[in-house]
Amino acid sequence: MTTSANGNNTYRPDAIIVGAGIAGMQSALDLADQGLQVLLVEKDSSIGGHMISLAKVYPTLDCASCITAPKMSASAHHDNIRIMVNTEVRGIRSVRGSHFVKLFKKATYVNFDKCIGCRLCEYACDSEYPDPFEMGLGAKRAISVPFTNAIPQKAVLDPELCTTCGSCARVCPTDAIEYDQQSEEVEIETDAVVVASGFALNSLGVKSQYHALQNKNIMTALTMERLLAPHGPYGRVLRPSDGKVPSSVAFVLCAGSRDASIGVPYCSRVCCMYAIKQAMLLSGALPIADITIYYMDIRAFGKGYEQFYQNAKAMGINFVRGKVARIDPIEDGDLSLHVESTEEAENILQEHRHDLVVLAQGMVPEWNPSISTPVAVASDGFVATPSLTAPTSTSADGIFVAGVASGPKDIVDTIAEAGAAAMQVSRYLYQKRAAATPEYALGPALVG
Amino acid sequence: MSDNTHSTGQPGKEDHEEAVLKDDAEYRQQHETLKRQQAEDRERAGVPPEPKVGVYICRCGGNISDVVDVERVAQVVGMVPGVTVSKVHTFMCSDPGQHTISNDILEQGLDRVVVASCSPFLHEQTFRGAVSRGNLNPYLYEHVNIREQGSWAHKHDPEGATKLAIQMITAAVGKLHNAQPLELIKLPNHRKALVIGGGIAGMKAAAELAARGIQVILVENSERLGGRLNDLGRIYPSETLAGDLVNDLVRQVRNNPKIDILLNSKVTAVDGFIGNFKTVIEGPFGPGGGFDKRDIVVGAIIMATGYRPYVPRDGEFLYRQDRCVVTTPEYIQMMQSMDPKAKHLEYNGRTIRSVAFLHCVGSRQLDGIHEPQPDGTLNTYCSRTCCSTILHQAVALRKRFPQVQVYDFHRDIRTYGRGEEEYYTEASKAGVVFFRYNGEEPLQVERTPGASARQSNSRKQGPITITVKDMLTWGEEIAVPVDMVVLGVGMMPSHIEDLVESIKLPTGEDHFLQEVHPKLRPVEVSVNGVLIAGTAQAPMNIQETLNAAGAAAVKAAAMFAHEMVELNPFVASVDASLCCGEGLCVTQCDYEGALQLVEKEVDGQMVQRAEVNAGLCVGCGACVAVCPHRAMELNGWRLDQFEAMVDGLMAETPHADCEPQLVNLG
Repeated sequence: MTTSANGNNTYRPDAIIVGAGIAGMQSALDLADQGLQVLLVEKDSSIGGHMISLAKVYPTLDCASCITAPKMSASAHHDNIRIMVNTEVRGIRSVRGSHFVKLFKKATYVNFDKCIGCRLCEYACDSEYPDPFEMGLGAKRAISVPFTNAIPQKAVLDPELCTTCGSCARVCPTDAIEYDQQSEEVEIETDAVVVASGFALNSLGVKSQYHALQNKNIMTALTMERLLAPHGPYGRVLRPSDGKVPSSVAFVLCAGSRDASIGVPYCSRVCCMYAIKQAMLLSGALPIADITIYYMDIRAFGKGYEQFYQNAKAMGINFVRGKVARIDPIEDGDLSLHVESTEEAENILQEHRHDLVVLAQGMVPEWNPSISTPVAVASDGFVATPSLTAPTSTSADGIFVAGVASGPKDIVDTIAEAGAAAMQVSRYLYQKRAAATPEYALGPALVG
Repeated sequence: MSDNTHSTGQPGKEDHEEAVLKDDAEYRQQHETLKRQQAEDRERAGVPPEPKVGVYICRCGGNISDVVDVERVAQVVGMVPGVTVSKVHTFMCSDPGQHTISNDILEQGLDRVVVASCSPFLHEQTFRGAVSRGNLNPYLYEHVNIREQGSWAHKHDPEGATKLAIQMITAAVGKLHNAQPLELIKLPNHRKALVIGGGIAGMKAAAELAARGIQVILVENSERLGGRLNDLGRIYPSETLAGDLVNDLVRQVRNNPKIDILLNSKVTAVDGFIGNFKTVIEGPFGPGGGFDKRDIVVGAIIMATGYRPYVPRDGEFLYRQDRCVVTTPEYIQMMQSMDPKAKHLEYNGRTIRSVAFLHCVGSRQLDGIHEPQPDGTLNTYCSRTCCSTILHQAVALRKRFPQVQVYDFHRDIRTYGRGEEEYYTEASKAGVVFFRYNGEEPLQVERTPGASARQSNSRKQGPITITVKDMLTWGEEIAVPVDMVVLGVGMMPSHIEDLVESIKLPTGEDHFLQEVHPKLRPVEVSVNGVLIAGTAQAPMNIQETLNAAGAAAVKAAAMFAHEMVELNPFVASVDASLCCGEGLCVTQCDYEGALQLVEKEVDGQMVQRAEVNAGLCVGCGACVAVCPHRAMELNGWRLDQFEAMVDGLMAETPHADCEPQLVNLG
C-alpha cells in the first residue's frame, strides 16, 4: 500500500459493507447484482469470515469451503464490488444523508500491487508462530498468505513477529516487501452502510470452574472445527496436549451462554446444532470413541434440524441432560466433569471422565459500533433493531445491519437476513434518488 | 505456483486500488492475442483446429480424495486424446482453484474444460464463470460429478470409485470434442412481480419491491390483508400489537401506486418461464364486483402462501372430546375476546383455576410413538415458534390472573431468538410450573376419574388429568389435574396443492416448499423465477418471515435490474435442410407453443418446417427421439456428443506406463 489516499474522491460507492463474512458477502452480492457499486471492508487479511474456517455445516453436511469459497470468489470477481482487507472502520459521520466512513488501512508491509502470492517470502522466513487461522494449533511464518483459500492471495507481514532479518525481501521476485510501509486513514463517502461485523466467542476462561484456560484439552468449538477440517492442522483429530487419538469426547453446551452469572443470559442459538454436527463428524473420524453431549435443552429448531438431531441419537451419540458444574484436570491429561443429572434419581451427582472437552462458548458482538458511529446497540451489546417491520434497520437512517451483528444467528438465517438488508439498502437508495431525480420513478434501473 | 503470476493490477492506477481485487483486462487482452496467433499459426500450417482439453479434479478437501485416488485419475485421464492439462486441486471452487482454470485457458490455449467435483447443482455455474473469465465460451465446459455419484456413493469401494471417475471424465472429454459454443437465450423481461399471499411475508415483499420502483400484483385469497397475524394479540418479543405491525405493512402496500392489490382472488393458472410467466387470476373483477378472470404477464412469482396451524385429530389429547382442550390459536382468540375487566379466567361458563400448556403438538413427531396423519406422514420437524408462543402466553396469563395455576409440559424449551429466553426466565419467576418429558415416553391426557365437566366447578380437582414421567424430578410419575389444556400446535404448509401442481413446485418430505439449497440459493426453487417468502418454506417467527420476504424480494430486484432475462441455451434446434415437415416432433412435444410447424419457402415452394420457441422449450429431447431424419438436435446435448460419450465410457483405459502429464497443485 504505497500509494496514499491523495484526497482524490472519485470513488464513491453506493454502499459500504462493514465485514466480509458470510453476511457481508451475501449483502454485497445482492446489491452488486442490482448494478450498485459496493465497497466490502474487512479487518482481517482475507474475506470469508468465520465460515471459511469451518469443517462442514449443518444440516446438509456440505463442506463449509464448498459454500463459502465460491461466494468469496464471486465477491472478488464481481464488477461492482471492491474489497479492502486489513481495513478497520474507525467511525462513521452522517451528514445530510451521506455517510463518511473513516477507514484505517493497517500496514501489511507488502505492496499488494506487486505481490503475486507466490509465497517465496513465506518459505524463506524461518520464524514459527501459532497460526491464528488454525486456532493456534498449526504454525505460521511472520510473513505469510493467510490460508490456502484466502482472498486475496497476498502475503501479509506481522510486525509483532518479524525480526526484520530481510530474508523475505531478498527472495521476493517483485520487490513487494516494504518494511517502512505506514498504516493510513482514509475517508470514503457513501449513501448507505451495512453493519455485518459478526461475532466473537466469549473467553474460555469465562467460567473459572471449568479450568479451561490452563488446559489444552479443553477447547472451543471453532478449534474443533479446525481439527475436523480435512485440511486442518493435524489432518486428523488428535488431542492437542499429547497427540493422543481421543477416545472419549465431551461437548458442554451453554458453557458461555444462557448464564446470567457471566453476563450472557441469552441463547447463542447455534451451539446445539454445531455440537451435534461435530459429534457426528467425530463419530465418523473416530468410530470407536464415546461422544457425549451435556445439554440443558436441545434447540434444533430450523428446517431439517430436528431430523438431524434424531439421526445423531440413532447414531449412538450420548445426550446427557445436565449442567456441567465443574471440570477438573486429572491424570494423563484427562478431565473429570461433574454433572448434576436430572434423569437418574439414584445417581444425581455424576462424575464423567473424558480425554477431550469442547466448550460451547457464547456468541458476543465482534464490534461495538455505538462508540464511533450513530448506530445504537441494545442491552445485550448487539445492534438494536427498533423497527417492527424492518428487522435490518438500525437506529441510524441509511445504516442497516445483517447477520450476527444484531444477535446470534446460524448461517441459514444470516444469509436470509443479509438478503433482506440488501433489499432495505436498495429500497432506501431508490427512494432517495427518486426524490432527487423524477425519472427514477419510471423503472427498476438503479445505477450508482 | 504459476497460477498467480497474473493476479496483480497496475500500481497506482487509481485511488484505493491497492487493496482492491479486480479482473485484469490486460490479462484478457494477452489471451486474445495469444489465441489469435495460435489460430493464425494453425491456419498457415493447414492444420485443422484440435481441441485442447483441460481436466481439473477436485479433492473437495478429502470428500472426494479420501475415496477416489485423484492423483491416479489425473494421471490416467491426462493420457486421453485431446487432454492437454490434467490437474488436481484441494478445492477447485475456491478462488485459487478457479484461477487455475482461467489461467490455463489463457496460458495454454485450452479450448475445452472439464471439472470433476461435486454435483453440477452446486457448482456448474461457478466453473462456467471461471471458464468465461478465461475468455472461453462457458458452454465448452463439462461438469462431472465424482462426489455425490462417486466418493459418497461408493465409499467402501475406492478402486471402483476411482475407475468410475476415470470413465466419467473420459466420457465428458469425448462429449466436449463435439461441443459447440452456445449463447444464452435472451428474452424480454416483464419487470412485474406476482406476490401470492397477502400476509406479512407477501406484504413485506410487495412493499420492498414497489419502494424499489418495481410493479407488483399482490393476490390474497381472503377479503383482508394480514394473514395469520390478524388473529394474534400482543406478539413476542416486541410486546407490541400484531395489528400495529399489520397496519404498518398495509399502509405501505395500500399507499403505493405500483402495487395492485387483488383481494378475494386466486391464481388459477401459471404458464411460461422466468421473465415471462403468463398467469390467470380469478377474482371479483367483473362488472359490479362479479367474478371474472384476468390474464397477467409477470416476470417473477413470489410464493408467500404461509402456513396453517396443525389441527389435532379428534381425541388427540382429548381435542374435540372435551371442551376444556383448545389449541393455541383458539386460546389466543379466547383471551382476545375476553372482557378486559374480567376478574377471573372464565371459559364455557366455568372459572378456570389451572391451565396446562402442552408443547410439540403436531411437531417433532416420532415414528412408532405418534400416530401419523391420514396420509401417513409424521410431522417430524420442530415448528420453531410454539415454545416462545407458549411461554409468552403463560407469562401473560400469570400476570393477568395470578390466582390461575399454570403448568408447562415440554420436551425441550426452545426460546432461541433474541429477546425470547427472557420469557423462559420470566415464566419461572412468575411461578409457572414446568414438567419435562422424553419424546419416547409421551404424556397422557385423560379425563380425571370421577370428574365431569359439569361437576368440576364445585370440585377442587380439575376435570382433566395429565400424567407425565417428569425428567426434572428424576423420572417421577406425576399426575396433574387441570381445568384447561392448551395444545401448542405446530405449523403446516397452507393448502396450495393446486399451485404446486400448476407451477411444478418442489416440496420436501415435510410438504413445505423446497428451496434449491439452504445456503447457496435459499429463497429460490428449482423453477427459475419463482421465489419463496416466509412460512411457505418452513416454520418461522415474525422477524424471520420478514427477513425471508426481504431476501426473496432482493432476488427479484436483481432479476429485474436487467432488461432481458437470460435462459440456458439447452433447447431443441431444427436443421432445416433435414426437416421434412412431417410434424412427428410437434405431436410429441408436451410444452404448448414450444414447437410448431410453420410455412416456409424452400426452392420457390411453400413447405412446412418445424420451428422451436426457445423460451418455451424445456430441452426434454422428446422431439429428438422421434425425428426419423435426425433433423432435431438438443443444443449442448447433440446426438454425436452422446455417441462420443458412449465411446468414452467404453474406451480401454490408457496404460499408465506412458509419460503422464500430471501437475499436482497441492
